[in-house]
Amino acid sequence: MKLTRRLFGVVSGAALAMGTVPFAAQVAQAQESSTLVIAVPSDPAGLEPGINKAEPIGSEIILNVFDTLVAWQAPDFAELEGRLATEWSVSEDGMTFDFTLRDGVVFHDGTPFNAEAVKFSIERTVEMNPYVEASLGLIESIETPSETEVVFTLSRPYPAFLSILAQPQSAIVSPTAVGELGDDFATNPVGTGPFKFRAYQADTRVVLDANADYYRGAPKLERLIYTIIPEASTRRLELENGGVDIIQQAGQLSAVPSEEMAAFAENDDIQILESPSQIIRQLEFNNSLTDGPFTDVRVRRAIAMAIDYDGLLSGVFDGTAERVYGPLTSNSWAFDPEVMDLAPSYDPEAAKALLAEAGVDPSDLTVKLYSFQGSLWGAVATFVQANLADIGVNVEIAQTEFPSYRALHVAGEWEMALDGRQPWYNDPDAHVTIGYLSALKNSAMTFRMPENAELDAKILEAQGEADMEKRKTLYGEIQKEIVEQVPGAYLFSPKLIVFARSNVEGLVVNSAPPLNEYWSVSKN
Amino acid sequence: MFAFLVRRLLSLIPVLALVLVIVFSLVRLIPGDPAVTLLGPGATDTQIAALRAQLNLDEPALLQLWHYVAGLAQGDMGVSLKSGQPVLDEVLLRLPATLEISIAAVLVAILVGTPIGVLSATRANSGFDHGVRILSLTGVSMPAFLLALLLQLVFATWLGWLPVSGRMSSYLFVDNVTGFALIDAWLSGEPGAVSSVLLHMILPVTVLAAFLAATLGRFVRATMLETLGEDYVRTARAKGLSRREVIYGHALRTSLLPAITVVGLKFAEMLGGAILTETIFSWPGIGRFMFEAIRNRDYPVIQGATLVFALLFMLTSLLVDVLYAVLDPRVRRKMK
Repeated sequence: MKLTRRLFGVVSGAALAMGTVPFAAQVAQAQESSTLVIAVPSDPAGLEPGINKAEPIGSEIILNVFDTLVAWQAPDFAELEGRLATEWSVSEDGMTFDFTLRDGVVFHDGTPFNAEAVKFSIERTVEMNPYVEASLGLIESIETPSETEVVFTLSRPYPAFLSILAQPQSAIVSPTAVGELGDDFATNPVGTGPFKFRAYQADTRVVLDANADYYRGAPKLERLIYTIIPEASTRRLELENGGVDIIQQAGQLSAVPSEEMAAFAENDDIQILESPSQIIRQLEFNNSLTDGPFTDVRVRRAIAMAIDYDGLLSGVFDGTAERVYGPLTSNSWAFDPEVMDLAPSYDPEAAKALLAEAGVDPSDLTVKLYSFQGSLWGAVATFVQANLADIGVNVEIAQTEFPSYRALHVAGEWEMALDGRQPWYNDPDAHVTIGYLSALKNSAMTFRMPENAELDAKILEAQGEADMEKRKTLYGEIQKEIVEQVPGAYLFSPKLIVFARSNVEGLVVNSAPPLNEYWSVSKN
Repeated sequence: MFAFLVRRLLSLIPVLALVLVIVFSLVRLIPGDPAVTLLGPGATDTQIAALRAQLNLDEPALLQLWHYVAGLAQGDMGVSLKSGQPVLDEVLLRLPATLEISIAAVLVAILVGTPIGVLSATRANSGFDHGVRILSLTGVSMPAFLLALLLQLVFATWLGWLPVSGRMSSYLFVDNVTGFALIDAWLSGEPGAVSSVLLHMILPVTVLAAFLAATLGRFVRATMLETLGEDYVRTARAKGLSRREVIYGHALRTSLLPAITVVGLKFAEMLGGAILTETIFSWPGIGRFMFEAIRNRDYPVIQGATLVFALLFMLTSLLVDVLYAVLDPRVRRKMK
């Protein structure tokens, strides 16, 4: 009896003793004010630019460890600025890109950055990464006339090339480190960026240390930690407790963060940073069908007019998403404001009249609405279902697990489907070509546009037009033509939302794509 | 004993082969292949086909099985489709984290569950017994994630005594030497590292131990009650031994024997990782790793990790049998 009582005493005594040590005291000595802790939901898929496939967490870390030749300029992300390149020129035919490189930049391993390193890095990515076959794969040759000049020649005009050069796949790696480390480079990346790679502990964290010799000036932070917290409720508690400084919503687009928004809005210790994105979520019609009601543009328009877009934004998204009117978001440099007037707007009575005009009795119309899984998509599908019920159309919702959904969608076995696109580089081409070029209709989840020689030609022309003004005009015409055909109903564009402790300063939420740089960030 | 061990170890081989064939086919029956899952909704067929070729997924399944078995024979479990790292390295990297909380949880459960069971039995139907029975029933039936969330709210958010998640404070930097955070923290010599790890362990260990302690408590109570009714216990009492000597000298030893099986098998189960506990506490263990692998359709990881789990489970249960024989002469005699 005494033995067990003693045991109890020891156990509970130990628990109490440990419990009364304030947790904060444990970390008092650490450099809290110069370390920024970012919570992300999963491991980076890799820290190696050569094999990056636009996975958001790895991509963002790459952009903080490496530099690209050019980058999109904050806060509008409509113009490019030089990074490792100081200036560049594009030949009139749009096929030759001539870059002058920054002098005196060194890699984290102390070796010098030069034209050879650029050639080495880009050729390496082309060789290693099938993901960039259609973009960097257009490079025919890379010349290095001097240490500070590099000339790319493409096999055909491709103006989005500059935008691709701003992406993590085009980050410049240290050729010496690649040669020395071999396969281990993937876990010990060496670049020229504001932060040096320090350690990666799988499922736990990635640690980056400041690069004091960074050519734009040393970062304000001494250390950057990406800590991996898979559970949303845990991330929230950690932010509220101050265990992490930032929660990123990027890559977490399957749930609506409105509950967290409401809780954090009343918390003085937490700030909410928002930025519009170029992500589009839409209801698609299968535009390749040859019979059925949806081959009639009046029926498609009626469906699009039955949806209460503003109600969706306020009711389901609580201000965390914005309106979309056509194939491009309104923050794209190629957006044409005229599509706002052309886009179908919410008018159930007119929708009913249109259906009658098309000779369709809505009570005969039962349609399956396919969707991704997840609470966000479920809420959107249910909202659309209720809207369409108001004009008498009966909708059955079929939420399908992603791989199966993709197979079904690409095979074209559907009439109406919820879909979306998150462009992985900042160019209208990333939405328009893949979504609407009829030749690509079976190659991915697209609007399955029917053959249309004129529109197809225009899309290809815009993709290759070197003159930016002409290119913008072309994209304007394309947007208007597409919107008039009502290939779908453009539902919403989710905002990029970052929750941060209120002492975090200087963070710019990058929109296209949503990869943030921490060089300018500090903690007070 | 030696013959018994050899027989048992040899019998592991066909079982492992069967596990391999089942898992190999099962993962390929889950709809969707890894290339589609890894590239996400925006990818084109060309990008997917290129990745499939890169990952050798375009080979016929039987050929893939042949290559896999041929690799296994040379100790090569393949590489993870997601990270490109060897599967065995990836599994061994995460095993220490799971071992660390599993061992701690088993120790806590034994230290808490056994005395509770004994006290309950010796005071059967008292107020203490009823209270313990209600508590242990709660412990057995409460879902782990609910208990985890409650503990986080109370001890981390409201009281602020304990950290929410993770293995140690983010602000500490400790090199990964053994993979056991506690040992690494001690080796690093960083001030506050060891206590930080201990504090981070309390909540996840409590959640893992709660179920086992409750199960064990109920089990020990039952066997103890049974033993106390045995003839030899009555004889011992009749000889005039004190109540304490009867309970701790005679009854307890016999009642604890079957408990070894319970603890051993539960421990073996824990080595497969506790997905929910590891996820909620951001604990980088093997359960979470496996869950992610299934979500990503990371075939080589699912196959390799399942084989490792199966082997660990069988070895642990073998160990339990051996331990049983060491402690119980009756069993030892049967093994010969």
